[in-house]
Amino acid sequence: MNTTVFSSPFNAEFDVNSQEFSLAGVIRPRSVDEIAASISVLKEAIDDVRGVLYINVKRLVQMNNTAFQAFARVVLDACRSRSDLSFVVVTSSVVGWTERMFRHLNRIEPRVTVEVYDSKFYPGQAFVEDTSFIPILRTQTKMTWRHERTILPRHGMRPGVVMADICCGIGDFAMLVKKEFQPTRIVALDHSKASLAYARDMAASFGIADIEYTYGDASEMLLEDNQFDLVTCRHSLQIFNRPTVLLKELYRICKPGGRVYITNEKNSHCLGEPRSKSIQWTYNEVAKLFSHFDMDVELGPKSRRYLVDAGFDDILMESFMVTNLDGDPQDFADVIAAWENVYAGEMAMKRGDPPEFMERFRQGFSDHIFAALHPKGYAGWPIWAASGRKPP
Amino acid sequence: MCAASKKPAEAAFAPLLQFEMDMGTFLSDWQHCDQLSTFMARMISHNRTDPIRHSNFFSFALNELLEISFRGGSPEGRIDCIVYRRDLMERVKLSFTCPSGQQEFYREAVSRTHQEDAFSRYLGAISTDQTPNREVILLDLAINFDADVRLEERAPASITFVVDLPLERAIN
Ligand SMILES: C[S@@+](CC[C@H](N)C(=O)[O-])C[C@H]1O[C@@H](n2cnc3c(N)ncnc32)[C@H](O)[C@@H]1O
Repeated sequence: MNTTVFSSPFNAEFDVNSQEFSLAGVIRPRSVDEIAASISVLKEAIDDVRGVLYINVKRLVQMNNTAFQAFARVVLDACRSRSDLSFVVVTSSVVGWTERMFRHLNRIEPRVTVEVYDSKFYPGQAFVEDTSFIPILRTQTKMTWRHERTILPRHGMRPGVVMADICCGIGDFAMLVKKEFQPTRIVALDHSKASLAYARDMAASFGIADIEYTYGDASEMLLEDNQFDLVTCRHSLQIFNRPTVLLKELYRICKPGGRVYITNEKNSHCLGEPRSKSIQWTYNEVAKLFSHFDMDVELGPKSRRYLVDAGFDDILMESFMVTNLDGDPQDFADVIAAWENVYAGEMAMKRGDPPEFMERFRQGFSDHIFAALHPKGYAGWPIWAASGRKPP
Repeated sequence: MCAASKKPAEAAFAPLLQFEMDMGTFLSDWQHCDQLSTFMARMISHNRTDPIRHSNFFSFALNELLEISFRGGSPEGRIDCIVYRRDLMERVKLSFTCPSGQQEFYREAVSRTHQEDAFSRYLGAISTDQTPNREVILLDLAINFDADVRLEERAPASITFVVDLPLERAIN
């Protein structure tokens, strides 16, 4: 049995399978009576479960003291009457006050503990939130922008749009968009504090003050529904282990009639001449390495399916190849060197790859660089750009 | 705190946004607390490091203060709210009319936020009370939002809270 109480603008719900009671939205009642129905859901949940009851407040955007105390009361009373039961309050580091407030309950009743779910919430997180990932992002955007600046207008980019760049990384894309297309508003969200700090420093040093960089989980955003004309999410569905959940959030914050634009790769299709065999072998291995950590860097061509399944219409899809001939071949070589550093470094190490593998793995990157810098060479990195419209 | 030492610090706070309303109108709808705090928070947070999260935190604190004035205010006169900023700090100055004789009550609640046993009082209240009183709310702001809460004496039938909120530091 699942019980849901909708009392706009908040939602209280109990899922018996996961033994989880969740509160979401804005809960600011004048008196406890107004939330009596939700309180009963919690009480019934307590009666139903054995062992542990999870209280999920990840998406609790606001709650006043009246509501806090009413829910706390029920939990504390249950601790006193049910010695078999314990509670885990699941908070997020994004809405920091929930952690601060709920943590006190543990001082009163040790059987109420607080967990911050997003300190470790997807397998690739440790790699992409590390500062060592920054050179990858910096060199990549420099190359992709040449293509995307002409692609974007076909996917809903125009001057004056209200937009969000979700999983913005170091925010360079947001800055380029700001300069080129003058949107009215840009929110840029990521869960990497290191990348956001870098983004803010860059913006400040270019005198750009009005990009709203914000820390958040793209799969549980605080942003309201139906807000943005254009939502971009680049190279990130392929990094997060639950792309469908992420896409659902992109859909939610997009205005009806607005568009969601995503770019993704198919790493095994990176190519180069000469030394194509070694290059191909390595990039096949890159795809396997990422999938070991639950990341699908082969997602690019699946974009259309993902967008259809998420409910978008008017889907547009195109691909482009970043190559060594786009500009200075050294820029292309820099991207590869940044990849090698993390993929054949931290990531392969974490997987526990043996030295023979590492050597061959690294060789493919070197050969790709060789091809890129070779006077008669050609090196490519294919990317799929796709967008869909949220039905009006 | 003596007036002489207070003045220069006050001068350094720059006003950002103000609203003023008839208490009667304010008290006509509970939703005003949520709406005003959400709106004010958005407006003043746009140039903070993380506008969305700053706004979320600020809205929490301002809403609690507005709820206090909603519950304790009287329908004559006006409610007046000004938000100031100095560096990493926002200051909320909130005045509202209340039944005379209430000042003493607020003065005591405010002074408790500065006492050493503030935390244990707060824990005691959330572990036993059914609904929060004004004191717990002020303790919540002091403990969970690092707020510094003071009262400013003005007219006899009104209360003026001065609440300093170092949220920019708390968030980032
Ligand atoms: C490969 S990077 C792409 C960054 C940027 N869009 C670009 O193209 O340069 C993936 C980014 O997604 C972010 N990310 C992944 N999952 C996320 C989530 N659930 N919430 C917020 N950010 C997330 C990571 O922190 C990282 O910055």
